Amino acid sequence: MARSLPAPRWAMLLSLLILLGCIVVPGLAVKHKDFKTCEQSGFCKRNRAYADNASSQGISWSSPYELDPATIHFTDGVLTGVIYKTTTANEKVRLPLTVSFLESGAARIVVDEEKRMKGDIAMRHGSQANKKRYDETEKWAIVGGLEVSKSATLNAQTETGFTNILYGPGDKFQAIVRHAPFGVEFQRDGETHVQLNHQGFLNMEHWRPKVDDKDGESGEDESTWWEETFGGNTDSKPRGPESVALDITFPGYNHVFGIPEHADSLSLKETRGGSGNHENPYRLYNSDVFEYELESPMTLYGAIPLMQAHRKNSTVGVFWLNAAETWIDIVKSTASSNPLALGARPKTDTQTHWISESGQIDLFVFLGPSPNDISKTYGELTGYTQLPQQFAIGYHQCRWNYVTDEDVKEVNAKFDKYQIPYDVIWLDLEYTDDRKYFTWDSLTFPDPKGMQQKLDETERKLVVLIDPHIKNADKYFVSEELRSKKLAVLNKDGEIYDGWCWPGSSNWVDCFNPAAQAWWATLHKFDKFKGSLQNLFIWNDMNEPSVFNGPDMTMPKDNLHYGNWEHRDIHNVNGLTLLDATYKAMLERKKGEVRRPFILTRSYYSGAQRVSAMWTGDNQATWEHLGASLPMVLTNGIAGFPFAGADVGGFFHNPDKDLLTRWYQTGIWYPFFRAHAHIDTRRREPYLISEPQRSYIAQAIRLRYQLMPAWYTAFHEASVNGTPIVRPQYYMFPEDEQGFATDDQLYLGSTGLLVKPVVQQNTYTADVYISDDEKYYDYFDFTVYQGAGKKHTVPAPEEKVPVLIQGGHIIPRKDRPRRSTGLMRWDPYTLVVTLDKNSEAEGTLYVDDGETFDYERGAYIHRRFNYRESVLSSEDIGTKGPKTAEYLKTMAGVTVERVVIVDPPAEWKTKNSVTVIEDGAKSASTASLAFYEQEGSKASYVVVKNPNVSIGKAWRIEF
Amino acid sequence: MRLPQSLLLLAAAGSAVQASSDKPARPRGLGPEFAKFYQDSTTFTCISNPSVKIPFSAVNDDYCDCPDGSDEPGTSACAHISRNSPLTVADRPGNSDLDTALALPGFYCKNKGHRPSYVPFQRINDGICDYEECCDGSDEWARVGGTKCEDRCKEIGKQWRKQEEQNQKSMTTALRKKKELLVDAGRQKQEIEDHIAVLEAEVQGAELKEQNLEADLKLAQEQDSKVVRTGKGKGKVSALSNLAKGRVDELRNALIDVRHQRDEAHERVKELEDILAKFKVEYNPNFNDEGVKRAVRSYEDYAARDQGTEGANGVLDRDLDEIAKTDGEDSGINWEHWENEEDGCNDSDLVYKLAAYLPPSLVSFIEDKVISVKGFLEEKGILPKAGEESSSESKAVTQARDALKAAQDSVTSLKNKLRDQRADLEQDYGPNSIFRALRGVCITQDAGEYTYEHCFLDSTKQNQRKGGNSVSMGKFSNVGTTSVEEVNTAGEVVNVEKMTIEYNRGQSCWNGPNRSTKVILECGEENKILKTAEEEKCVYSMLVTSPAACAGGEEAGNGAPRSKDEL
Repeated sequence: MARSLPAPRWAMLLSLLILLGCIVVPGLAVKHKDFKTCEQSGFCKRNRAYADNASSQGISWSSPYELDPATIHFTDGVLTGVIYKTTTANEKVRLPLTVSFLESGAARIVVDEEKRMKGDIAMRHGSQANKKRYDETEKWAIVGGLEVSKSATLNAQTETGFTNILYGPGDKFQAIVRHAPFGVEFQRDGETHVQLNHQGFLNMEHWRPKVDDKDGESGEDESTWWEETFGGNTDSKPRGPESVALDITFPGYNHVFGIPEHADSLSLKETRGGSGNHENPYRLYNSDVFEYELESPMTLYGAIPLMQAHRKNSTVGVFWLNAAETWIDIVKSTASSNPLALGARPKTDTQTHWISESGQIDLFVFLGPSPNDISKTYGELTGYTQLPQQFAIGYHQCRWNYVTDEDVKEVNAKFDKYQIPYDVIWLDLEYTDDRKYFTWDSLTFPDPKGMQQKLDETERKLVVLIDPHIKNADKYFVSEELRSKKLAVLNKDGEIYDGWCWPGSSNWVDCFNPAAQAWWATLHKFDKFKGSLQNLFIWNDMNEPSVFNGPDMTMPKDNLHYGNWEHRDIHNVNGLTLLDATYKAMLERKKGEVRRPFILTRSYYSGAQRVSAMWTGDNQATWEHLGASLPMVLTNGIAGFPFAGADVGGFFHNPDKDLLTRWYQTGIWYPFFRAHAHIDTRRREPYLISEPQRSYIAQAIRLRYQLMPAWYTAFHEASVNGTPIVRPQYYMFPEDEQGFATDDQLYLGSTGLLVKPVVQQNTYTADVYISDDEKYYDYFDFTVYQGAGKKHTVPAPEEKVPVLIQGGHIIPRKDRPRRSTGLMRWDPYTLVVTLDKNSEAEGTLYVDDGETFDYERGAYIHRRFNYRESVLSSEDIGTKGPKTAEYLKTMAGVTVERVVIVDPPAEWKTKNSVTVIEDGAKSASTASLAFYEQEGSKASYVVVKNPNVSIGKAWRIEF
Repeated sequence: MRLPQSLLLLAAAGSAVQASSDKPARPRGLGPEFAKFYQDSTTFTCISNPSVKIPFSAVNDDYCDCPDGSDEPGTSACAHISRNSPLTVADRPGNSDLDTALALPGFYCKNKGHRPSYVPFQRINDGICDYEECCDGSDEWARVGGTKCEDRCKEIGKQWRKQEEQNQKSMTTALRKKKELLVDAGRQKQEIEDHIAVLEAEVQGAELKEQNLEADLKLAQEQDSKVVRTGKGKGKVSALSNLAKGRVDELRNALIDVRHQRDEAHERVKELEDILAKFKVEYNPNFNDEGVKRAVRSYEDYAARDQGTEGANGVLDRDLDEIAKTDGEDSGINWEHWENEEDGCNDSDLVYKLAAYLPPSLVSFIEDKVISVKGFLEEKGILPKAGEESSSESKAVTQARDALKAAQDSVTSLKNKLRDQRADLEQDYGPNSIFRALRGVCITQDAGEYTYEHCFLDSTKQNQRKGGNSVSMGKFSNVGTTSVEEVNTAGEVVNVEKMTIEYNRGQSCWNGPNRSTKVILECGEENKILKTAEEEKCVYSMLVTSPAACAGGEEAGNGAPRSKDEL
C-alpha cells in the first residue's frame, strides 16, 4: 500500500494555472507610472515653481532679464542685442537676442547663451556631448519663409526703455521691445495681441559648474539639477540644468488651439487644476503611449509646438521651435469687468507658459488676422502638405496581420467580389523574416512580387512596415551595415546603443547623420529590398523612438546622435529625420522612376506634413475613442499636418457592428482613411460584417470615393496654402463665438460640405450647429435647414451619416463605383450646385495624374466653377507649363455627365433644356433638363443630363 | 448538393451562342435572355419599372435613366444602382423610393471561342481588361485612356476547354471514388452490425458463466467458514509488534514517497515560478494581450503572497529526516526488543509503551500528517486506496472469487464494446454514412509557417514547420452543414449550403477558447486541404475537397447498403 503512483504533475500545474486565471480582470488604463508628470520632470517642476514664485510676488516681482540698450542694433529687418540675466549670485549672464521680422509678416525671436555658443563650459562625466544649445531644429522643420522684411522699420515715436519696430503688411504690425525687464508686445492695428514675458516667467537656466557642498547657500532647490532617475533609468545630465521657459499671453483671447498630439478637445483646457481643468501641463515628448487615455494633456506620439489663439474675428499664433521635451501650461484669466462700463463683457486673457528642457528660445509670432493666414505663414516656414498620390486618399485596409501572401490576395479578391472599393492593403510587422526589416518571411510570403503584381492589376498598392529599430543580429545585412558603417545612435559612452523593441535586442539608425540617410536610401532600392515593387509604399512606425525598456518608453536622454547632440536636445524631431530619410529613399527607387512617395508615420514634428501622413496611434474600439478622433484630426489640421486619421474600428479590442458602422461613417471624413486592428481581434474587413451593416459600411466607403474629386481638390489646396483638409467650425466662421469650441463636426475643404458624424451609441439623430443664415441642404434628400447660431436636428438612422451642403457651392463628384481610385480616372463628373442667398455658387476642382510630379510642370487641370445669373461656367485657374497641353489631351474624353442644381428658381419648372457652349466648339448645343419637385421641407432640384462638356475646357451652361 | 457551377454555365453557353447567331444585333452588353425587352425601336420601357419609359436613343447613351439601370446594358453609367451605394434623390429622380437593384446581371461578354459570361457593370471601361470574365476584351470598348484589350478568347477558351475536359474527367473519377467510398462505408457498417450480433451472443454467454461462478463462490465460502484457523505468532506482543513494524514501515515508505513527490512538485512550482518571473520581466506590454496582462498581474499577487513558508519547511524536513531513518538501536524503534518480548502486559499498555518508544514527532506525524496527506492523495486518486480487507481466506474461496471477478470483467468489457458499436452505428457519418469510409484518413497542407493536418472524423492539427511543435485544433465533434456566401456578378450575395465536419475541444488558447475547426467540404477528386484560415482567435476554418462531397453516385452505388436510420 505504500507504493505510490507517480504524482501527476499536471495537477500541480493545473491548479497554478487556475490560480492565475481566476483573478479579476482589471480595467484598461494607460500605465501612468511609465510616463512623467510635471512633478516628476525636474525642469517642469522647477519652472512651475519659478512661475508660482513670480506670481505670488505680484507686481513686486521683477524678471531678472534686461536687454542692454547699448547692444541693440537694427538693420535690414533684424534686431540684435544682448540680454543680461542677473543670477541669484548677482552674476550677469550674456544671452544674445535676435529678432527677425520676416517678409511673411511673422516675427522670430531667438535667445541663446553666449558661453554655450562659444563652447566655454565644462562637461561632467567626461561627456562628449555637444556644448552648444541645440540650434538645428530648423534644419529639419523649416524649409522657407525666412526672407527678412525689407520694409520693417524702427518706429521713431518710441518711449525711452523701448524699441519699437513697424513691420508686416502695410506696416500694420508693431513689435514693442521693452528693455527692462525684457519683454515684447506684438500689436496689430495698434492693438496688442501677443505678449512675451508679460508675467515674468522668462527663464533660461544658464550653464554653471556643479559645486558639491554649497547646499542651501543659493536658496535654490538643486535636487533635479544634476541627475534624475525615472523608470529605473538614470539621466546623467552632463550639462546640468539648462531649461528654457517663457510666458506668452494672448490678451482678450478665450480660446487656444493646436500643440498636437493630445487626446483632448480642440479648444485647449486650462492646466493648473480646478473643475474641468487639467492638473498637468500639455506635454510634448513623443512617446509610445500604450492604451492612451482620453481628455488628457498627456503626451502622445507626435509634437507640433504651434498654438493658435482665437477670438472674434482675430487669430494669432506662436510657434515654439524647440525639439526637446516641452510642457505648456495654460491659464485663462478673466479680469473683473468694470461695473461702470455698461455692457462691457469681462475680458479673458489666455496665459501660456512654455517650458523646454534644453535648446534655445526660438519663437515665431504670427499676427493673423485669420486662421487661414496662420496656416499659410506657418506653411511657408515648415512646408505644406505633400500632394499625395491619388491612391493615398482612398480606403486603406490594414490589419496586424495579413498572414500570408495568399491571404492578401484573398482579401483583395473579396473586396472585388463584394464590390467594395479599396486602394491599399497593409502589412504589419509579421511579414518580415524574424522582424528583420527589408526581408520577407520565406514561409508566409514566398512570393511577394506575385502578390504585388496581383494588386497592381487593379492599380492597388501595398504598404509595409519599416521601423527604425534594427534587429541586432549577425548575418542580417542591415544590422551588419548599420554597425560597420557606424550609422547607429550611440549611448552616453559613445558605444552603439542597444535597446529592446519588436525584434528583441535592437540598434537604431541615426537619421540625423547624412551618411545614414544616404545608406537608408540604398536599402529601399528595388534590388536591395528584394521582393519590393513600384506599388509598395512605407509605414514608419515606432519612430518616437519607441524603446520597450527605456525611460518614458523611449531612449535615454543622454544618448548621443550625429553631431554629438544629446537625445534630450533632439527627441521630438527624431521621428521626422527618419521620415525625411524614407521620403528621399522613396522618391526614386529606380533610376528615372520618380514618384510621389507615400509614408505613414506615427511620430512627427513640424515639417512632417511635407513627407508623410499620420495616424493617431493605438486607439481602442470604444465609442469614446471614436468621438475623440474628431478633435484630434481637426487639431492636426489646424496645426499644419492635415493628412491625418485614426484607426477605423479601433485598434485594440473588437468593435460591435454598430460601432464599426459608425466608425466607417466617421472615418470616411478623415483625410487619412484606414481601418486597422490588433492581432488578437476578430477579422473585421467590411465584407465580413453581416447585413444590413455591410451595406451601410459599403455605402460609406463608396461615399468617400464618390467625393474623391472634392477630396483631391482639398488636398491640393492644403498643398499650396496650408489650409486644413477638414476644418473646424471656428476656422470657417471666425466671427461666430458660439462655434469656437465646436469640435464634433467638420467641413470638407472649401466644398461647403458640413459633416456631423454620429459617435454615440444608439443615437439616430444629429444636432448640427449652423453658424450662418445660408440654407443648408441634406446631402441625400435635399431637406433644407436654415437658421444661424443654432443647432438643427438631422435624422441619422444607422445607414446615414449626417452631411449637409451649405448654399453657394459647386461640388465635383464621380458617381460611378469602381474598384480603386486609379480606375476612376476616366469617369465623368457630376456637379452638384447649391445656390446661396444671391442665387450664386462657386467651387473648384483640381485634377492631375495622381502619381508623378508632372503637375509641377503644368500637367494638371485646375478649374473654378461659377454659377451666376443663370449661367454655370468653368474657368481655368491653373498656370500653364510645358506639360499642360499633353495632359489636357489625355483628359479630353473626361466630361461632365450630370449637373444637379438644388433649390432652383421655381420658374424653371417649365424649362426642359439648357444651352451648352464649349470653348472651341463650332456651335452651341443643348442638353435636356428635368425639374423635380419635392414635398415638405425637401428642396426641389433640376438635373441636366449629359451636357457632355470636357472637364479640362472652358464652357458655359445657360439655364 | 448543387451541380458544379461550371456545368450550369456550360449549358447556358450552348444556348446563348445559338441565340446570338440568328437575331439582329442586341444593344451592347445585353445578354440574349433579355433581348425581348429591347424590341421596340422607339421607346424603351425600364424592365423592373415599366412606368418609366424613355426614348430608345437613351439606351446605352452612357447616362443612367432607368431606376433599375436597364437602359445601360453596355456602359457603367448605372453601376451605382446598388445597395452598396450612397444614393441621393437625384441619382434616380422621382424614383428614389424604389428598390435599388439592377435588372440586368451585368455586361454580357459574348466571348466567341469561349463561353459567354457576365462582368459587373462597375468594370466596364475602367481601363482594366477583365479577361477572366471577358476574354474578348469587349468590357473596354470605349478604350478609355488608350486601353486596348485584345481578344484572347481563342487561347483562353482553348485552355478552358482543356481544363473543363480535365474537370470532367476529374469529376468522373471523383464520382467513381465516391461510389467506392459508399461501398466501403456500407461494408464497414455491415461489419459493425455483424459485430453487434456477435457481441450480443457473447454477452449472453458471459452472463451465464458469471451466474455459475457466483454460485461456486457461495459454495466455497460456506465450506471455508467451517475451518477454524489459529494465529501463528508466539504471543500477542510479538504479533502486535510485527503488525506495528509492518505498519510503521509502510507508513515510513509512504512518507518517503510522499515527500519525494512533494519535492518534485516544489521543483516544478519553482521552475514554473521562474518561467513566470522571467515572463513578467520580458513580456511586451505593447502586445496588449489581455491574457498576458492578467497573468502577469495575477503572478504579481501570487508572488507577493508566497512568503514565510520556507522556515517552517526546514523544521518539518528535519523531523521527516528523522522519521525516514531505518529503525534500529539508535533511531526510531528498536523492534528486536519487542519481537522477543513475552506477553507481560495488556494490549493498551502495549500501545502506550510502543508510543513511548517512538519519537514524539513521529506519533503526531503518523497520525495527523501522513494519514491526512495520504487520505488526500487517495481521494484525488493519486494513490490507490488500500485494500478493503486483508484477512486471509482459503485458497478455494480466493480462486472462486478471482474466477467470478474475471467473468464479471468480461461481461462489462463485452457490454462496453457492444455499447460502443451501437453508438457508432447511431453516429451521423453524413449522407449514406459516407465518412465512415474516410475515418482516420489524414491529409496535410503546407501554409505559411504551419503544416495543417486534417484526419477525417478524428482531429485537426497545426504543426509548426520550423521546430515541429504540434497543436491540436480540435477533436471530431459532428458532421453538419453550413451556409457559405457567394457573390454573383451583380454583386448580390447568395447563400450556398455546404457540408461540414466540425472539430472542437482542441488545445486551449492563451486567454482564448479551446481551438476549434470547421471543415467545409467541396466536391473534388482528391481529399485535399485547399485553405486553412483563422477566422478569429483560435477558431479555424478549413476548406477541403473530397469525392465524398460530390453530388450523385448514390443510386448507382453498386447496391450501397442502406439502413433505416440513414438520411
